[in-house]
Amino acid sequence: MTCAEYQEALPYIIDSGGDKEHQAHLAGCSVCSDLVADLKYIADQAKLLVPMEEPPKRVWNGIQRSLEREGLVSRSAGNRGRLLKFRRAGTWMISL
Amino acid sequence: MTQTKKTLVPGLTEAEAIQRAQAGDSESFAALYGLHKRRVYSLCLRMTGNTAEAEDLTQEAFLQLYRKIATFRGESAFSTWLHRLSVNVVLMHLRKRGLPEVSLEETMEPQQEDAPRKDIGARDNVLAGSIDRVNLERAIESLPPGYRIIFVLHDIEGYEHNEIAEMMGCSIGNSKSQLHKARMKLRDLLKLSRAEKAARR
Repeated sequence: MTCAEYQEALPYIIDSGGDKEHQAHLAGCSVCSDLVADLKYIADQAKLLVPMEEPPKRVWNGIQRSLEREGLVSRSAGNRGRLLKFRRAGTWMISL
Repeated sequence: MTQTKKTLVPGLTEAEAIQRAQAGDSESFAALYGLHKRRVYSLCLRMTGNTAEAEDLTQEAFLQLYRKIATFRGESAFSTWLHRLSVNVVLMHLRKRGLPEVSLEETMEPQQEDAPRKDIGARDNVLAGSIDRVNLERAIESLPPGYRIIFVLHDIEGYEHNEIAEMMGCSIGNSKSQLHKARMKLRDLLKLSRAEKAARR
């Protein structure tokens, strides 16, 4: 098996290892084994990427405005205290 | 950590917040936003590569959550359910823009500028131990959209190929092929970045 043939099959066998012929080629070929090592390393590092980005406050503000527009959160005088409490609670929860 | 043990504020677990939000309690919804906003936003940002779009899509995902939370039955973890909802929001947006389907076509020719090269010939130094998070995030950001979506869904977010195929309307083989191309392209970018860094020393 040539490197070209091995690498042609690689997308479909990288997890399973392929058949005996694929495995034999990998065991004897430093180019392909380095390639597989790199691709698996990239995949492993990707799994470690944690959600690092914090959405800006305007995202939450936009959600509130949309809910008000849709009538899902009341902005009436009688409920103003509740809405303000919702906003303050929202802010407080965000800072947790 | 199980859903019932997550504590958002003293005395309020995630499970309780979900129940209260389902009953229309806005404070509980705000608590759930605080708990999940970072993961949803990061997902949107990685899939689109664009801050403004990610903000809009995060907003849309949580609005949909507010409208649909009553349908959550607890058959999966809440985070899984919200995550899937967010992925669907992003994919619908990308379909409207028309990008992913074109990029996922198997007819993409190897000669195209953004297609990765095959690795045949002389050995090169392996990458192991030389990637840092910043470089990897930058490289992912610079992937062509079709490659980036598959890579984010599979390698970062942990979806299986059969799930991706269903979401993207492609075959499992296509998903595997595009993932491979994404990883190969990342390999090229990361090696280039490492070589540039070494040259500056």
